[in-house]
Amino acid sequence: MFAAVALGGGLGSAWYMIEAGSRLSTRSFGPWTTWPAAGRPEADPYTRAHMVRNALLPLASTLEVTYQARTDNRGGKITSACDYTIVVEGFDAGWWSLAAFDARGRLIHNGAERYAFTSDTVMREADGRAVISLGRDARPGNWLPIGGASRITLVLTVQDAALAAALYEGADMAKPLPPIERVQCH
Amino acid sequence: MSLISVHQIRKPTLPRWLRGVGWRTLAAAVLLAGIIHICATLAVPMLGPGTAFAKLRQALPVNQMVILAPPAPGKEALPFLTPDALYAICRYDLARESLLITATLAHVGWALSLHTPQGDNFYVMPAQPLRRNEVSLTLVPGGDKLEFAPSARRASAGDTTIAAPTSEGLIMVRAPLKGLAWRAESEALLRRASCAPVRR
Repeated sequence: MFAAVALGGGLGSAWYMIEAGSRLSTRSFGPWTTWPAAGRPEADPYTRAHMVRNALLPLASTLEVTYQARTDNRGGKITSACDYTIVVEGFDAGWWSLAAFDARGRLIHNGAERYAFTSDTVMREADGRAVISLGRDARPGNWLPIGGASRITLVLTVQDAALAAALYEGADMAKPLPPIERVQCH
Repeated sequence: MSLISVHQIRKPTLPRWLRGVGWRTLAAAVLLAGIIHICATLAVPMLGPGTAFAKLRQALPVNQMVILAPPAPGKEALPFLTPDALYAICRYDLARESLLITATLAHVGWALSLHTPQGDNFYVMPAQPLRRNEVSLTLVPGGDKLEFAPSARRASAGDTTIAAPTSEGLIMVRAPLKGLAWRAESEALLRRASCAPVRR
């Protein structure tokens, strides 16, 4: 019993804090989560361990912020069995990228060879918004294929030094992050 | 209406398996769990098998800029790396020589970044509108964290000297792709990136 509490509790809590993070090391905005100290030499031990364990090479959060989402706005896991819509707006000051990966950070094979949209490649509506559709079946507009992988991880990278600095200092988001709306499941 | 007498209310009792464990034993187990938690968290950066540096080390020659193959399924250099971009990476080793790093940061989204083997990004220079986009800096060994940290926030990279906190690490130039039509241009600009040894 002693060994179970000590080993299980110690290793289990460390694994959770390194993989999922907590309010000590991450900030969450709806389904999006970021590690504000990622890439910084003065990062906390949990952030450093998270970056090393997952072989990440982040740019310092003095420059840009990277968010990950594994669930939609209603809390359901993002899967290739469903279609989603993401509306990106308000990030026009800098460069941004929205990419889809499987749960282990690998690209999802698709015939269109499309894995991401950036502020340079996305098509915009007349009002400047970018509406991105995620799904396994092709559709007109900004279609990001996610078929063939069970669990999906979305990564939103926003290059905005002011936003990154504010987040690191603990300020609230001035710009809302794009909601991830589930449209239908097959 | 039935009334419950005070004697009928049973005090909550611990399960039998827990009653045999003294509170001192439980406190010691929790304390040891805390120590294991701290040790495990601090050990991961040193013992973790899958750092970005370790993954790329074998594929990259020392002190030479290499343009990676465009990210594609099964050919990702690193997990969660932005796929709509080309990357040039130099694995630096400052044991014998310093390095002169040059790069062209052509458009918004382009960035030059320097990383330790643990992934710490100790210097970053993004492309900025209305600024010269030719970057040239010298990477020299030495310096501890307190000394080099402020340099990561310099406004200009022209002929800058950067003290690397570790003798080995990675230099990365990211070139976001605007689309297929711009691919050749982006690749040509990325090929200008270099990391050349400089005698000390």
